[in-house]
Amino acid sequence: MRGVEILRPGSFAEALDLLAGGDPETRPMSGGTALILMMKTGVFQPERLVSLDGVEPDYGAITVTQDGGLHIGALATLSALGRHPEVARLTPIIHRAMPHLSNVRVRNVACVGGALAHGDPHMDLPPILAALGADVEIASAKGARSVPVEQFIRGYYETVLEPGELISGVSIPPQTGWVSGYRKCTTRAVDDWPALGIAVALSMRAGAVARARVVVSAATEKLTRVGEAEAVLLDGPLRPERIAEAAEAAAGAVETMDDALGSAGYKTQLLRVHLRRLLTDIAGGESAT
Amino acid sequence: MPNGQVGRSVPRHESAEKVTGRAEYVHNLSVAGMLHLKVFRSTVAHGRILSIDTSEAEAMPGVHAVLTGEDIRKLVAEPYYGPAFHDQPVLALDKVRYVGEPVAVVAARDPYVAAAAAELIFAEYEELPAVDDEIEAMTSDAVVHDELRPAGTFPDLKHLDGKRDTNVALDYHLKRGDPEAAFAAADHVFEHEFRTQPVMHVPLEPMVSLAVPEQGGLTIHTASQSPSFVRSEVARLLGWAENRVRVKVPYLGGGFGAKLYIKLEALVACVALILRKPVKLSLTMEEQFYTITKHASTFRIKTGVNKDGRITARHCAVYWNGGAYADIGPRVTQKSGFTAPGPYNIENVEIESYALYTNRPPAGAFRGFGIPQLVWAYESQIDVIADELGLDRVAIRRLNLLDETDPQATGTPMKDAPVKAVLERVAALMDWDGPFDTGQGSIRRGRGVAVGFKASISPTTSVANVTVAADGSCSLAMSTVDMGQGSATAHSQIVAEVLGIRAEDVRVVNPDTDVTPYDMATLGSRSTYHMGHAVRLAAEDARAKLDALAGEVGRDGWDGNSIASLFLARYGMQAGTITGSGTYMPSYAKPDPATGFSDNITPFWMVGGTGIEVEVDTETGKARITKLISVGDLGKPLNPRIVETQLSGGALMQVGLTMLEDMALDGGQVTNASFSDYKIPGFADIPVEIVNDILPTEQRDGPFGAKGVGETATFGVAPALASAIHQAVGVRVTSLPITPEKLFRLMQERTA
Repeated sequence: MRGVEILRPGSFAEALDLLAGGDPETRPMSGGTALILMMKTGVFQPERLVSLDGVEPDYGAITVTQDGGLHIGALATLSALGRHPEVARLTPIIHRAMPHLSNVRVRNVACVGGALAHGDPHMDLPPILAALGADVEIASAKGARSVPVEQFIRGYYETVLEPGELISGVSIPPQTGWVSGYRKCTTRAVDDWPALGIAVALSMRAGAVARARVVVSAATEKLTRVGEAEAVLLDGPLRPERIAEAAEAAAGAVETMDDALGSAGYKTQLLRVHLRRLLTDIAGGESAT
Repeated sequence: MPNGQVGRSVPRHESAEKVTGRAEYVHNLSVAGMLHLKVFRSTVAHGRILSIDTSEAEAMPGVHAVLTGEDIRKLVAEPYYGPAFHDQPVLALDKVRYVGEPVAVVAARDPYVAAAAAELIFAEYEELPAVDDEIEAMTSDAVVHDELRPAGTFPDLKHLDGKRDTNVALDYHLKRGDPEAAFAAADHVFEHEFRTQPVMHVPLEPMVSLAVPEQGGLTIHTASQSPSFVRSEVARLLGWAENRVRVKVPYLGGGFGAKLYIKLEALVACVALILRKPVKLSLTMEEQFYTITKHASTFRIKTGVNKDGRITARHCAVYWNGGAYADIGPRVTQKSGFTAPGPYNIENVEIESYALYTNRPPAGAFRGFGIPQLVWAYESQIDVIADELGLDRVAIRRLNLLDETDPQATGTPMKDAPVKAVLERVAALMDWDGPFDTGQGSIRRGRGVAVGFKASISPTTSVANVTVAADGSCSLAMSTVDMGQGSATAHSQIVAEVLGIRAEDVRVVNPDTDVTPYDMATLGSRSTYHMGHAVRLAAEDARAKLDALAGEVGRDGWDGNSIASLFLARYGMQAGTITGSGTYMPSYAKPDPATGFSDNITPFWMVGGTGIEVEVDTETGKARITKLISVGDLGKPLNPRIVETQLSGGALMQVGLTMLEDMALDGGQVTNASFSDYKIPGFADIPVEIVNDILPTEQRDGPFGAKGVGETATFGVAPALASAIHQAVGVRVTSLPITPEKLFRLMQERTA
């Protein structure tokens, strides 16, 4: 890894200005946990880094919105997210997943915005946010826009971010009436990249599934919403045969990838089993309340 | 008179220093004017070097020099090193033999400049056919070395000198009884092939060496397990007297066999002398994978059995994938080779064991020194035999295991090697005859046992010096390297026991070949026994001299508190020094070249038993160890607490090698050389329940009844797990590692 110039803007707006030219050699850095590894291995060698570390406290804040949703600043660390009492209350799925996400050293510095901007399918937070129906808020010198997390990831390490744009935050709508769960499946050590991540959020009405979001990642090129499984679940009760049918539909529909974590065929089996188990857990939790 | 120093769980001397970040490591060492080196490595598995263009790298600002093998050859006419063969060039000469082999080196004040410049070196190769697999290497047309160059130190390699057109770097043979006739007469004959994968030791401190040229000599600071060997081998390369090379080793951040013999030392020594500057080479984690590995292996095992389960004949053919340079591979082949039939009393045995050159990164010593690869096969097969004959898996072992009076395959008796007691202890701790819950639904449970044994390396020498200062304080100088195993603490306990002082008060001097005397190396669980004796003898020598001093000054006796008064009485002030020295080399009988027999092949045997309970998820193939029992025959423990951590550490390391670790090679290129992709067990992977059990035994000729324990718990882990898995889900794994996907596929094939 060679020397690199680090720019330290005094405000978020100044950071946007520094990035406005769209120079590919100038990259933003928040926690840097992924970027520095890529630079160390020579995959990526930018000339300048725009450090967002502590740029403005507001951009790291986690707040409850007026309608009872959550707003998470892009520079909130994963640890802050995992420890926040309102996050635990309003989105227990995030609180429960966080201890299994990467490791404590990474969580203490890695930020929510970076986890999305990296576009790596082997991340645990993006599918969870997608299942919660969250939007990514994007800022640039030209203005702001908002994109659902599900559409934000465009491909393998690819997002809809344009040169000069930065993620400023994530907004999660109120989760009233929704139940959700995440399963991380590793095939090597327990602390490892997921071979498969599945996030599910269901809205139940009168004992039937009224709305469903089933999101798969890690085993796929990018995080993927599985409409085929959702279609099976919609408008019916969360019973074992329906659950099995939904899992089977997902296994049939989702295109999994071969890599060092497992073959595509094995990952399809993992998807079949773990989606069924996750839905069964959700059904159990639902019936218990 | 015993004073309770030996056998006491003395806390490790270095723990406080280590956990507070104060311990000395080579990585933290920096000297004035030091240059950092970065290695440029081969990208082809086998090729003739046509050209190396270093001009762009040399032109980079901040680069001090770029050197290739030809530059080394100007300093050392024959720049080849190695403990068994002089086959490894300091930098590649004429040919490259594996992807990752050092070809050139950049020196710069700034390590980042050196790294950037190394990327500007361009080499052209004429690619040659490569050989990857150890079985292929037996007959392959691709030959890794044009001519074999045994080092001359091992008599059993002499016949290979100058041999051409072969990849066999050692063939070991043993024949006992009449195997052919016994197989013909056997009621059942079983033939299996078991394989193990290449893995890396991954010490968390990667290899690092710093060479400082000095007036008339050279000091090498290095993370090495064998300072004495480094000194003599570097001196040999340079044509110098040994006393011109000083090798200093502070603490090691893990070794496990990776840091033995020469690793980076010859390179830093040569570059430092050529450039007349101190030079330091710190490998990255990734580069370690290109430096040394554990032998992948194929073991073809054929066993003849009577209908009652008695083993009558065994044929063992073991093929060791040694990679491009022999390192200590031929010793692995021979030393472990002769225990290939297992700890069983078998009348008719034939062993063939082959060290093979291939175009992979070199393989060498790795905690267990070949034994886990063998136990994997023989303990797996005996389960298959038991099942086939309808016998209990413990009962069949009980029936066949060697007694302490029995000779092992080589003819050496199993003195102080209680194999049966180890098995019985494992069985008792598992409540083997009690009920066992085999699970239900998608979670199935099973349990397995395995017993393995190992000979110590022989004949090797250790020397220790004990110094008593005039104030009565005492220090121990030895070249045993404390790489986390607690040797400094254990040996201080021996000194303290002999001199009647507290172990905490004995100062242990880190290896420094100008100060600490010769030791063969810290390897193969040899230090407790060999260095333990040397330290005992040194302390006894000091004690005798203190007795004499007491006599001179008219005292009847002395104790740990009155030593200072002896010096004072003799010299009239706080003056004088007493030095006790001890040298130990056990007796040994070389194996007969014709038969492979020896009645004294090892100074001691080590026996380890493993019991494992497992849960397997039948829908995903994920196996989880719920109980891991390690029973060690280690004589009387010098320090029970350290011994326990040696047992758990060895077993857990082997769990990683059994379930997770696998160097992925693609055309000779390692594709997962980082902790992102090469996973070792973390805390979350540790079994729910771990039992470490010290069998109450005594190594009667060991120092205070002790012997080595560093490898004992590694032996049986893989076969015990495979056995437990077989009981749980009915499939037999024959190649490592046992991954969830592999298990799932086997279960699917079984259903289909």
